[in-house]
Amino acid sequence: MEKFAVELLVSNHYGVLNRITGLYARRGYNIDSLHVNETENPEYSRMLIVSKGDEYIQTQIVRQLSKLYDVKDVALMARVNP
Amino acid sequence: MELTGAQIIVEQLCAQGVTTVFGYPGGQILPLYDELYKNADRITHVLSAHEQGATHAADGYARVTGKPGVVIATSGPGATNLVTGIANAYLDSVPLVAITGNVSIPLLGKDSFQEVDIVGITQPVVKHNFVVREIDKLAFTISEAFRIASSGRRGPVLVDIPKSIQVESCEYADVQAVSGKDATIDADTAGEAASPAASPAASPATSDVASPAASPATSAAASPATTPAAATNAASIPGLEQAIEAISQCERPFIYAGGGILASGAEAELLALSDKLSAPVGFSMMGLTSLPDNYMLNLGMCGMHGKYASSVAQDECDLMIAIGVRFSDRATGEVKAFKHNRTIIHIDIDLAEIGKNVAATINICGDAKKVLTMLLDALPEKHNVSWLERIEELKQVEGSPQNGGFTPKNIIEAVRRRHSADTVVATDVGQHQMWTMQYYKMGNPRTLLTSGGLGTMGYGLGAAIGGCIANDRKHTVLFTSDGSFGMNLNELATAVSQELPILIIILNNGVLGLVRQWQNMFYEKRYSQTTLNRKTDFPALAKAFGAAGYRATDMQQLEDILDGLPAGMPAVVDCHIDMDEVVLPMIPPGGTVKDIIY
Ligand SMILES: Cc1ncc(C[n+]2csc(CCOP(=O)(O)OP(=O)(O)O)c2C)c(N)n1
Ligand SMILES: [Mg+2]
Repeated sequence: MEKFAVELLVSNHYGVLNRITGLYARRGYNIDSLHVNETENPEYSRMLIVSKGDEYIQTQIVRQLSKLYDVKDVALMARVNP
Repeated sequence: MELTGAQIIVEQLCAQGVTTVFGYPGGQILPLYDELYKNADRITHVLSAHEQGATHAADGYARVTGKPGVVIATSGPGATNLVTGIANAYLDSVPLVAITGNVSIPLLGKDSFQEVDIVGITQPVVKHNFVVREIDKLAFTISEAFRIASSGRRGPVLVDIPKSIQVESCEYADVQAVSGKDATIDADTAGEAASPAASPAASPATSDVASPAASPATSAAASPATTPAAATNAASIPGLEQAIEAISQCERPFIYAGGGILASGAEAELLALSDKLSAPVGFSMMGLTSLPDNYMLNLGMCGMHGKYASSVAQDECDLMIAIGVRFSDRATGEVKAFKHNRTIIHIDIDLAEIGKNVAATINICGDAKKVLTMLLDALPEKHNVSWLERIEELKQVEGSPQNGGFTPKNIIEAVRRRHSADTVVATDVGQHQMWTMQYYKMGNPRTLLTSGGLGTMGYGLGAAIGGCIANDRKHTVLFTSDGSFGMNLNELATAVSQELPILIIILNNGVLGLVRQWQNMFYEKRYSQTTLNRKTDFPALAKAFGAAGYRATDMQQLEDILDGLPAGMPAVVDCHIDMDEVVLPMIPPGGTVKDIIY
């Protein structure tokens, strides 16, 4: 299965990381790496999450993440080179 | 105006048009209950016997009214008792706002008395949940909770409010939710909800009809943001033109309708579509009641325990228009066969459902009513005589077996004869539930309360209470069985104190019938732990609660009881039926229509 990265803009708020990783965990998708940074605007953070999955999984993750209240933007990055 | 947190909650509930709430008090929610006491003329509080019953009542209330039901509980055990009811609402997309008290802010996170992390516990089964840690965010949070619960794909929202927040005060002005963020697409609120100030990037969810085709390689936010104005033009809706083309070409159209029809209020459009295309309609359990029962092309439920004609017609169609359904495994059986040799058009408001369980041929993401309206405008009339003849033939095969015994079918029909289309009917979970789906002639939209996605035994009585109250406390029916009724029968106390005319029919088979049926068919009749062998005297129990109680062992007895029911109180009728009655037809789990047992 290929690696892929999702870039997220999220509220910078307690519990948000938990909601996002919980979504991966519930559906049984392992997270290979995770970066979180506060943006210039302290109300938001940017996250970069790398995991593995086929196109079905990638689409599902993006669509499920988009439904989270604290997620303001989701982008699926171009394939990550192994 | 300076108000306390508890006062703000009451003001916000009233501002949302809430007139009835369900709940149970306790230490950490005392300030709110004190305000409810003072505002009893504005908000009716219905006290349940157990918080689970209150949640199911709020769920039943919401299903009947279409507006969010409200349930209130204290911290700790009060809050954890809500979990099953919240999950039930989540899986059936029922709008619900749950308000829990919690320990005061300085005590949070210290394992204080009756402190649990209810936000953490309920996270996987809510659309969203909040802890209110600042009094000045309280008003906004509550109105936001209502907005989330009732927009897009509906669902439960929990707001956890520490006691100190209920006591503190701040300046209050009626606050409306302004956030533009709702992950699902809602036709009616999309326009007004969009507020760039609250969202730094265009949210993927601000259009009427979004693009399900957004390739995974593009940002979700970049999916074509169809403006409401442009949305009226078929060419601008992804999938719509292809759908029109495919429907125009097909020979044997079949409509598969789900709860999305009721959520969107698209019953009239569904009827018009079926009529225009001469397309038979089958339903997921959540979609039942969206068409009149006597409509010629209404084939009833399809799926594992669906009607024969409905499931077979679904299998024989060359084009399926699936509206507001999520293709649950109970409904589809084996997915490859389900998709085989036909075009499937999937219309749903939740982008994440598109392609999740069944990869349809054509996808349209949007509100059912809006999409159907556009489709109707563009589609030609169709009338395939041989397809309609085939449907009639299937109905004949299905038949309507008549035998005179004290059977579930005869009992359900006798009850139905005495009720009208506006009677709310609730069920628990098991064989009795499936028999109700098959034999009860469904009434008006939103009159059926049944637990679909979670299959919650013990749902029925609470739901019937909420549904009865929502339906002006008119006569309400609950079909249950000994197992399910045993789970939450304590709510009889609630029905009695509220003087609710709920007729409770126990299809008492002495067994956990549906599980026993599986053991019969798939475990060589090893009836492990499904024979109840209890000595419970249900009529006496009913009387002990202050309700009326009866036992019936034949049809004549039942008819007499039904004709002489007392007014203004619940009545339990314990109907002793054969433990070996089975629910048929049945498509075995993971099977296909070819395997149907009938
Ligand atoms: C809370 C809960 N526990 C267990 C089950 C599994 N289950 C599904 S149907 C059923 C039997 C239901 O028995 P009863 O309520 O007597 O209905 P019957 O099938 O006899 O009509 C059971 C145990 C469930 N759905 N819900
Ligand atoms: Mg039973």
